[in-house]
Amino acid sequence: MSQDNRTIPVGVGRPRVENEPPGTLNDDTFAEKKVYQTPLIDIHEGPEGLTLEADLPGATEDNVSIQLEHNVLSLHAKVSIPVPEGARVLHEEYRLVDYYRSFILSDEVERGKITAELRNGVLRLTLPKAERAKTRRIEIKS
Amino acid sequence: MNRVNWQRWDPFREIQREMGRLFESIEPLPSWRVAQPFPVMNVYDAGDRYVLTVPIPGVNPEEIDLSITGETLTLRGERKRLDGVSDESYRRQERTFGRWTRTLTLPDRLDGTQVIASYANGVLIVSLPKAENARPRQIAVAALG
Repeated sequence: MSQDNRTIPVGVGRPRVENEPPGTLNDDTFAEKKVYQTPLIDIHEGPEGLTLEADLPGATEDNVSIQLEHNVLSLHAKVSIPVPEGARVLHEEYRLVDYYRSFILSDEVERGKITAELRNGVLRLTLPKAERAKTRRIEIKS
Repeated sequence: MNRVNWQRWDPFREIQREMGRLFESIEPLPSWRVAQPFPVMNVYDAGDRYVLTVPIPGVNPEEIDLSITGETLTLRGERKRLDGVSDESYRRQERTFGRWTRTLTLPDRLDGTQVIASYANGVLIVSLPKAENARPRQIAVAALG
């Protein structure tokens, strides 16, 4: 069991205070909103590992944070969708609520090699398989 | 063909349990398990125009079709899945894909020639000016005599 708490080097901003669960942040913007919405995700598997895609419309690179602590990968994103100034709401189907979701990773993911990219409001996390977890074909010599 | 057995590798085995727990937590929005229109949108009245904000991540903005007739607006498009990913390789699928259409009737006539649409961070924003004769106007009272 690895005891080190580390964040994945993904090159995205971290609005969260390290090691504090959401809702107990000192950050004013988060303190106001203690409710989160669960982003929708897809997970698919390829020969090299897993790919996780999450819909995060309204999130930008600077306000997405991905953290790996022990075996929990947590995803947190602030939403910013401009609202026209002085405008009256006629119809509302969504609200500006931040995203939060966490996942449990097994040891078979190569943690140091997790990468993330955000494009058009879709976050793609690449979770490569650790060498030792890859299936090997063993030849039987006759 | 290189047949590989992936049965043994399941890093997300625990997820199902975790998800069950997550779903019990407070959902600020009507749960997506209840049928929801796709995409969802908010509509604002900004005086001389209407503004539509539509979160629709992962689409090519050039493939969104927007048409206006009188006071009715139709948005149409297709959200495509990734190329080269087979159905069997999906471990979990929650996101919506396929062709979609949404039609909206606004309280006033629109000026179809002045519409501005932009797409950033997976959000479509459409600015729809009201037709000239639908805008609020000041009528000067002429003093007679």
